[in-house]
Amino acid sequence: MRTGDYKQTYGELVALIDSPPVWLWSAVLLLALIVAPYALNAYALSFLTIILITVTGALGLNILTGYTGLISLGHVGFLVTGAYAYAVLVSKYHMHPLVGFLGAGVVPAFASLIVGAPSLRLKGLYLAITTLAFSFIINTVILEARWLTNGARGISVQRPEILGISFDGDAAFTHLCLGIAILTLFATLNIRRSRVGRAFVAIRDNDTAARVMGINLHAYKLFAFVTSAFITGISGALYGIYLSFVSVEGFPFLLSIEALAILIVGGLGSALGAVLGAILIVLLPEATRLVFSLFSGQLDATFTTGAQELKSMLYGLVIILFLRFQPRGLVGAWHDVRRTWVHWPLRY
Amino acid sequence: MTFLLTVERLSKRFGGLHAVADVSLDVTAGEICSVIGPNGAGKTTLFNMISGVLRPSGGRMVFDGVDLSTVSPWRFAAIGIGRTFQNLALFKHGTVVENILTGRHTHLRSNVLNAVLYFGRTRSEEIAARQRVEHIVEFLEIEHIRDAVVGTLSYGQQKRVELARALACEPKLLLLDEMVSGMNQEETEDIARFVLDIRDELGITVLMIEHEMRIVMDISDRVHVLNFGRKIADGTPDEVRRNPAVAEAYLGRQRAEAMKAGA
Repeated sequence: MRTGDYKQTYGELVALIDSPPVWLWSAVLLLALIVAPYALNAYALSFLTIILITVTGALGLNILTGYTGLISLGHVGFLVTGAYAYAVLVSKYHMHPLVGFLGAGVVPAFASLIVGAPSLRLKGLYLAITTLAFSFIINTVILEARWLTNGARGISVQRPEILGISFDGDAAFTHLCLGIAILTLFATLNIRRSRVGRAFVAIRDNDTAARVMGINLHAYKLFAFVTSAFITGISGALYGIYLSFVSVEGFPFLLSIEALAILIVGGLGSALGAVLGAILIVLLPEATRLVFSLFSGQLDATFTTGAQELKSMLYGLVIILFLRFQPRGLVGAWHDVRRTWVHWPLRY
Repeated sequence: MTFLLTVERLSKRFGGLHAVADVSLDVTAGEICSVIGPNGAGKTTLFNMISGVLRPSGGRMVFDGVDLSTVSPWRFAAIGIGRTFQNLALFKHGTVVENILTGRHTHLRSNVLNAVLYFGRTRSEEIAARQRVEHIVEFLEIEHIRDAVVGTLSYGQQKRVELARALACEPKLLLLDEMVSGMNQEETEDIARFVLDIRDELGITVLMIEHEMRIVMDISDRVHVLNFGRKIADGTPDEVRRNPAVAEAYLGRQRAEAMKAGA
């Protein structure tokens, strides 16, 4: 059995990483992720890229739904707004890609104020339905504003070149996604361990007590919406660049469900959970396809034709299974494993 | 004499029900003041109005020279009113330390952007807050549970964490809603000692709702008695004990008269 780490300054108590082994493993993981794009084949690399983009988006939703407890079914609305903001700024008006990314964050953030305003009064299911309506309204607005968005024709997007570095190659683009995912992870972890994050969690757990502690509920709910939409918008821009074509069809409603599934499977309100959940949910359809292809080619073909339908069935299934057997999500399972490991051979 | 809190003809109606009707009371700085009364007398409703959870239907509250009707509910903590809740209102997924840190909210300044960077002033104010929390943990003798998740603690311990969280706000006036209900003798004595220390060492004025008469009579400077939403008596613990109206409210008229005849 290991003993605990003894801390000698208050600074150590607020540190994100407080033990040398964790530092070491994080460094090893980071190194592996940097090298991976050169080692993996194109097929595996596309999954890594998608996972990184999804992690960014899931971390965005986690701030709103995980931390603050406001359920959003309309996060695909922020994804698509971010993607279009980037596409319009960079492809149509030939602005710098950095301006594009800034726009991809700021435009959804403003849009979120419109959805956020009703959230000050609505709770639970009612809020979920309001956000759901928002995502459909956004789609209609994009289809109708042809002068700006080309309507249903969509906008094609090039891989960007930032500060002289071209992100045209697949490996380079993965590195861009990796960089943004890591920045997002640190941003959410920092929010969580600060006054703002504690206010979010306080609102989720007990809003009356939160107000008595001096937390301005209206302001902080809007902060949660804006921060969440900003991050989700950036993720949307990356997804648009990855697809190299931004259109309303590229962002189906299923993505909203996928995002919620990620949080539930990973463990609500945990950044680590969002990361683990994103990995599982992105790989799940592929893993299932591989398993099925072992049995017969017929099933494999079904998978290709009805991919969307099968995906939504799979998401539904894992959500139910996790809620029933592991409600704390993957992160809960991880904590149990870690506790067993630390206390072994004692039981507690 | 200057009052920290003045409540004038305060009332609250829920539909046709007068939960609190024309209640006036004053709290002097440095006092330990109790509000007692039978169940449903309107004590908690009164507290909810003083702490900004409910808006009064009528009357006036002045706290530290500020008319509370001009203050937004979420700013009550910032001007110096802290409270605990009768039925625990902790953030149950957080650890004890996190809960108490939340109480520091009004004393910290960082906004979303500072928080994202967590650098310089944001980091140093977090460290200072953490240090401050450690003092409170020590003051209330909860060192051994500081990293425990609040939902896993016993009722008495959770009450103590609530007290710690309220103290982290550094209030001028602390409202304690039935701190010792459901506690055993030893826990009750601990809380009584803490309440005295809070007043004497931290200089915080205490207004508490309490059913446990021994603690009320032992440590209060003044006692206010409510019944059916109205104030029926106030005074020192001894005066209140001898007041026939109070005996009547608690025991009913016949029993009260019988007791008086017996005494």
